[in-house]
Formats: sequence, C-alpha cells, structure tokens
Amino acid sequence: MSILLFILPFIAAIALLATRHLPARPIALTATLANLVVTIAALSTFNGDGSFNYEVNFPWVASAGISFRLGLDGISMLMVLLTNLLAPLIVLSSFNQQYNLENRYFGLVLLMIGALNGVFMALDGLLFYIFYELALIPIYFICAIWGGANRIQITLKFFIYTFVGSLFMLVALLAVYLKTPAIALENGLPEAVHSFAWEDLVAVQLDPTTAWWVMLGFFLAFAVKMPIFPFHTWQPDTYTTAPTGGTMLLSGIMLKMGVYGVVRWMVPLAPEALHGWAPVFLGLAVIGIVYASLIAFKQSDLKRLIAYSSIAHVGLIAAGVLAWNKAGMQGGMIQMLNHGINVVGLFFVVDLLERRIGSRSLFDMGGIARSAPKFATLFMLVLLGSIAVPLTNGFVGEFLLLNGVWNYNSTLGAAAGLTIILGAVYMLRAYGLAMFGETNRHTSEFADIGLREWIVLGSLAGFVLIFGFFPQLILNLTDGSVNKILGAVQF
Amino acid sequence: MTSLLVLFFTAVIALFAGLFKKRQWLQPLALAGTGVAFGIALVDINTSSAFNERYASMLQFDTYALAFTVVALLATALIFGLSRWGFRELSDTLGDNYALFLFSLCGALCMFSFTNMVMLFLGIEILSIPLYVLAGSRRDDLKSNEAALKYFLMGAFATGILLFGIALVYGSTASFDLHQIHAVITANGHSPNMLSAGILLILIGLSFKVSAVPFHMWAPDVYTGSPTMITAFMATVVKTAGFAAFYRLFSTAFTGAGDFWEVAVAMVAGLTLVLANTTAIFQVNFKRMMAYSSISHAGYLMLAILAAGQPGAGGALLYYTLVYSIATVCAFACFLLVSEQNLDETFTAFNGLSKKQPLIAATMAVAMLTLAGIPPTAGFFGKYFLFTVAFERYPWLVVLAVINAAVSIYYYFKVIIAMYFSPEENAYEVKIPWSIRLTLAAGLILIALLTLMPSSVYNLI
Repeated sequence: MSILLFILPFIAAIALLATRHLPARPIALTATLANLVVTIAALSTFNGDGSFNYEVNFPWVASAGISFRLGLDGISMLMVLLTNLLAPLIVLSSFNQQYNLENRYFGLVLLMIGALNGVFMALDGLLFYIFYELALIPIYFICAIWGGANRIQITLKFFIYTFVGSLFMLVALLAVYLKTPAIALENGLPEAVHSFAWEDLVAVQLDPTTAWWVMLGFFLAFAVKMPIFPFHTWQPDTYTTAPTGGTMLLSGIMLKMGVYGVVRWMVPLAPEALHGWAPVFLGLAVIGIVYASLIAFKQSDLKRLIAYSSIAHVGLIAAGVLAWNKAGMQGGMIQMLNHGINVVGLFFVVDLLERRIGSRSLFDMGGIARSAPKFATLFMLVLLGSIAVPLTNGFVGEFLLLNGVWNYNSTLGAAAGLTIILGAVYMLRAYGLAMFGETNRHTSEFADIGLREWIVLGSLAGFVLIFGFFPQLILNLTDGSVNKILGAVQF
Repeated sequence: MTSLLVLFFTAVIALFAGLFKKRQWLQPLALAGTGVAFGIALVDINTSSAFNERYASMLQFDTYALAFTVVALLATALIFGLSRWGFRELSDTLGDNYALFLFSLCGALCMFSFTNMVMLFLGIEILSIPLYVLAGSRRDDLKSNEAALKYFLMGAFATGILLFGIALVYGSTASFDLHQIHAVITANGHSPNMLSAGILLILIGLSFKVSAVPFHMWAPDVYTGSPTMITAFMATVVKTAGFAAFYRLFSTAFTGAGDFWEVAVAMVAGLTLVLANTTAIFQVNFKRMMAYSSISHAGYLMLAILAAGQPGAGGALLYYTLVYSIATVCAFACFLLVSEQNLDETFTAFNGLSKKQPLIAATMAVAMLTLAGIPPTAGFFGKYFLFTVAFERYPWLVVLAVINAAVSIYYYFKVIIAMYFSPEENAYEVKIPWSIRLTLAAGLILIALLTLMPSSVYNLI
C-alpha cells in the first residue's frame, strides 16, 4: 500500500511528461483521487500504536547498507493524509488557470506529490534524503516556468538555499551512518557494511561534540525548508512569484517536510544535543513568529501577507515541536494538517481574487462581500481557522502548541502567544479591506464563485469545521507514535 | 590484455582504411573494435584468464584494470557513436583521426593495468601523443593550433616532472615494480627524503594530467580550442585514465609512505574544488564552463585518492568516473548539435531549446543534473560514495566538497535555465541524425541503470 502511494503519481507523471497529447487534467485528477482512496483505505486498517504499518523493504545498494524501505506510523500517516487530501484540491484549483504546456505542468505536480509521499514514508536515511531532494526538482521547474516576474533569479535562490541546507543534512546523516555498527554481509562480500535503517541510526550513541554538529546539520536543512528566521528570506519572494498550484504545494505540504524531518530524523538521531540546542532553536522560532507577524501588518499584497503569516504559523509549530513535550508535539501534529488546509484555502482565495480583479493589492479591492456573499462566507471560514478561533481547526493546534512552549519556558510562551493576537489583527485587517467598504469599478461586478471553485473552497472550509469540532480524530491517530518518540528521547 | 591487442589492431586497420579512402567503413570498424574489446573485457572480469596474467611484471589486467577498461571503452564507444556527425567535415584525415583515438585508448589501457613505473610512463605517453595531434586537428583554426601547442608544452613539462619523480623513487627503492616499492617502503618503516621528493614530484606530474589546481592552467584553453569531439574524449577517457593510474600507483605502492603525500593531496583537492567551482560560475562559453567543471570533478575524485586502499575507495572511483564520463559525453553531444546549428558556443545557444528540441533538452538536463549530483540521479550516488570513503579521516574536506557541490548548481543550471525558461528562441529545428539519437538514448539508459543498481558497479572492485 505504501508503494502505491508514491508509484501511482509517478507513473501518471511520467506518462504526462513523456507524451504531448494525453488529456492532462483528467489524468492528474484521477491519479490524485486514486491516491486519496488508497490513503483512506490505509487509514481504515491503520494500527496507531506507534509501530510502522504497511512496511516494505528491498535492498537497494546492499554493499552500502541502503535499502528501499517505506512504512507508516501515526506521524507519517498524518502527513500522507495531508498530502493526499490536498493534492486533488491543488490539481482542481489549477484548472482555473490556462497554462501553456499543460502536460508538463501537471506531470511535474504529480511528480512532486509522489516525492512528497515518499519523504513522509521513507524509513531509510538515504532514501529520505533522496526523496527530500526529489521533491525540490519539480517545484523548481514549476516555479521557474510558470511563475511571475523575476521568477528565474528568485527560484534559483530558492533552489540553492534549500539544496545547500539539505547537503548539510547529508553530511550529518553520513556522520551518524558511519557510527552504526558494521555488519558482515551474508553473500560473502569481504567488507562489513553500515546501515541507513532508521532504527540503526537512532540506536547510535554520539559523543556530545559530534551530536552538536549533527544536529546543526539537520537543523540547517529543516530550518531553510520550514523556514525559520533567519533562513526565511527565500520564502516570501518564491511564494509570491510561484504559480498558485506551486505556492499551494510549497506552503501546504512542502514546508511540513521540515517539521516532519525534525520529529522523525533530527531529534531522534542526535538527542544528546537537543538540550543544548533547544534554547537557540526555540529562540529563533519565536523571533521569527513576532518578526513575520509584524511584517505581515505592512503588506498590501495579499499573497505576500499570507506568505509572512505562514512563516509565523510554522514558527509556532517548530517552537512547539522543539519544546519536546506531549502538548507541543501533539499540537504540532494537528497544526501541520490544519495549517496545510488553511493556507491552501487562503492562497486559493488570493488566486481567485487575482483572476477576477487582476491585482493582488488590498487597495484595489473592497466591497466584494456585497457582490459575492457565498465567496465572502467561505473566505471568512478559512480565515477564522487561520486565526485560530475556537471551534475552528486552528484553535486546538495553536492552543496545544502554546501550552507546549509555555511549559518549556513561560517567557517564550508569552512571546509566541503574540502570534494569535497579531495574526487576528492582520488577517482581519486584510479581510476588511478586501471584502467590506466601498466597491470600486473592479469589485462592483465581482462574480460569485462557480461550481469548481465552490468544490475546492467548500471542502476546505468543511475541513476547517470538521477538524475544529473533532480534533480528537487527528490526536488519536498520532498519539501512539508521539508517545513512542517522546519516550525514546528524554529531554 | 586481449582488449589491448584488439584495440591496437583495429587502430592499424583504421589507418589503412583511411589510406585506401574507405570512409564509410571507418565508423562501423571503430565501433566494432571497441565493442569486441568491451565484450572481451566484460567476460574477463568474470573469468580469470591466464593470458591476462602472462605479463604480470609489466601489465596486469586484474579486476581493477578490466573494470576501468570497461569504463573507457564505454565512453569511447559513445563518442564513436557521434563521430559520423562529429567528423563529417574531415576529409582525408578521417582515418587518422579514428586511429589516433584508438591508439590513445591503448595508452589508457596501459595506465589501468601497469605494475611497473615504466609502463605507467609509457602509458601516459601513448595516451598523450595522439591527443596532441588531435587537439590541433582543425588545422585552419587558430584556437585549435593554440590548444595543441599549449597541451603539448604543458604535457611535455608534466611528463618531465613525472619522470624525475620516478627516477628519485627508483633511487631510493631500487625498483620500478609497484609491489617491490611497497615492500621496501614498509620494510624501512619511514620514508627517506629522496623518496618523499620523488612521490611529491610524481604527484605533481599526475596532477597536471588530471588537471588539478594549481596545475590546471592548460585545461580551459585546450578544452575550448580543441574540436568538441576531442574535448569530449579528453574530459572523459583521459580523466578516467589519469585517475585510475593515480589511484593504482598510490594504493599499491605508496600506502605505507606516511601521511605527507596525503596532506598534499588534501590541499590539492581543496584548492581544486574551490577554485574550479568559483571560476566556472563566471564562464559564458559552454565549453569553457565544461572545462572548469571537469577540473572541479578532479577535486571530488581526489577524495578517492585520499582514501586509497580503504575498502570501497576503488569502487567509488570507478562508479564516479563511469557516471561522469557518460554524462559528459551526453552533454557534449547535445552541445555539438546545438552549437553547429547557430555557430554559438555560449549559453545563449541553448535558449528555448526545450520548445524546439524537447528530447535534446531533456537529455542535456539529465546530464547537467547528473554532473551537479542532484538526487536521485546517478551523479548523486557517485558523490555520495566518494564522500563516504573520505569522511572518516577528512570530514572538513567533505564539508568543503559539499559546499562546492552546491556552488556547482549555479553554473549547471544556467544551461537548464536557458533551455527551459528563456523567452528567446535561438535554437533551430533540425533533423537529428539517428546515430546521435541512438547514442543519447544509450547514454540515458546507462544513467538510469546506474541509478537503479549502483552496487553492480560499486562492488566490482
């Protein structure tokens, strides 16, 4: 089952990239829906006690201890659910745009989705690294071919930033790998080999200095990806220039790779260094929260505003997870899913506004609620989720995260709490400017949403409410795995 | 051994075929010769043949030598695949060209298999002298003449240094035989100054051959000035031969000779990585960029020399040279098509290629991603193996190499950016000869196979 999850989109992607005349849209939608079905089937027989479900394991480079090993525990399952829940919506929302070379566009999107599923399921260190990088190549092409102004410089900066970060992760992985016990191979090869298997890497005891470096290496990779202050400078530009589908993939799913990497790889592999590094990491994360929120205030470009708000929200997730306690970790889990839903919803709204008005500036909008009430309602729902109003999906996650950070250090907790207040202020200001007030010549004839848009935005708004009312669905899913990981690494 | 003989006789036949104006026979003949030699080498890897051991005091075709023979023959076969198009403007020198390629390849085979310093020296000479001629084979082109002269002068200079080094080593160990040198060194327990000086001079001589900084100055001009087919040969077969000989010499003879040469190699590697990559960023001419890229790959390959003798180091070297050779030939093949269409050797020649020639553009993109070592291409595994073998003792150098791998993205991606994202369209639409299609397809399939099954090559040595 885990193989299907990444092989289905890969096959569809290769079919689309290799040919010119296949119907791209139906194929892309079918592939992502098929993946969603597989995910739901996987969920229905899922065992949430923290063990790995649906494990597959083939030797790949046996003489170097690399194997093709996939498996799903609660945390992976949640991330796979996030990916495949959003994937059909992202594909569907791209239908509103006319892209030239549509086959390539959807092929790359599918390639990306397959690689993302791979990242979240990989249980072999090098395989994780390979998927992690593989996810980068399609999004680079998506942003650089179909992006907006200055796309080439901006996306190259993005690529080099993230690639440099992950190369440090490769070095850190190597350092741990070479410390695993070398086992003689059965097939008679003379030399003994180390292992990249997750359990073997976790079992390694590092001395403090090595652990310090290893954690730094991993942190650089994941901090760039999330992004955490001060590694975030690629993000607002990239989000703004990328085509909407690309922005959704980046913000909704890809940046969760960083958080997931912290939970699955960084801390378990170098737990010895967590005590020393945690204050630094948490400090950076909290600085990022406040800094990004303040910048978001000043934005008039709605897409940029959401990009900065995303830095703030992900900073909070990172802080909660790195506090390394039950509340923070569970909050991080649920919030990763919810942030994905909310931010994809918000970027969809931006895209819709831009298509109708031809501008993303808040000052070109106004009074849209009057001409498009359905749109205004759905937008409001997603926005409420994003600012964590109780009974929407954002609330439980942010509450738990703040609880986790507060338990770690009350000052940091208080500072991180600003994110909710500031978030509410800048989001509501944006909503007010866009939806209320006087109409202008663009917005007076603003058409309300059509059926396809209704499906996308409606289901996202539905998720906001469902996960707001029943957060326990998610918390139960990850509970076993979170306990296991927390138990393995005592802070 | 048999492969060497096959190649030699093929070269002689090619020479005569050229003499009797049998133009159309030459490419099939050269391909058949390399193909037969390739097949024999492959068979010999799996079955030890007594014939290969007959001259063990001079040339020993052990698994190491045969594996590298396979790499060099594969690269040459790919180049010959392009040669009908690449050489189409040559008139009466066509036969000489094929023969010189094959003679040079014979030298490479000697460099893979030598067990005696004399054979190393002869191998290098046999490899180089045909190349001096080939570099200048566009006789009416000033740049080609300049390349030949530069290559010859620097090559002769390097050979002199190498020979001096060999003499000094002989002076202190009283032998040309690698195993005996090793025995003397380990028996002494320390290395006298004369031996150290000899090893350092050999190191310098070989660094010239593999174009490692600071002995790389000749490479950019020679690569740019030579005809593209020759450049492709130099960047692949010659580089592979240089490193295979380098590794064989240092892992067999000098392993016990103390750490001093390792320090020198580490410094050369570090310098090569930093200088080559930073200089490559500023290039506008594709061939010049590839020259600096080839220098930078010498820096990565030096990591294997540092780990000489450790398990996995030889395999890492073999895998890297194979992947690098295939990707480089593919890149030069695409460049050959593009540059000849619009007489432009800079990156602008690639503008908009993906719309006019999607297949060429895709091959070029794969080649660039492979050279940059981006996962999951085979180039990534190549770098990964090298980093692993060197990490334990030289972690700082691996970190430096990693940073430089990131820098290299910048210039490799210039090509991809031009092909896929540039709004201008310079590339013409032409019919691609089927021989080039076949060669590119073979290259892509090989890269894919190497990605899926790295162990099959990595475990050979």
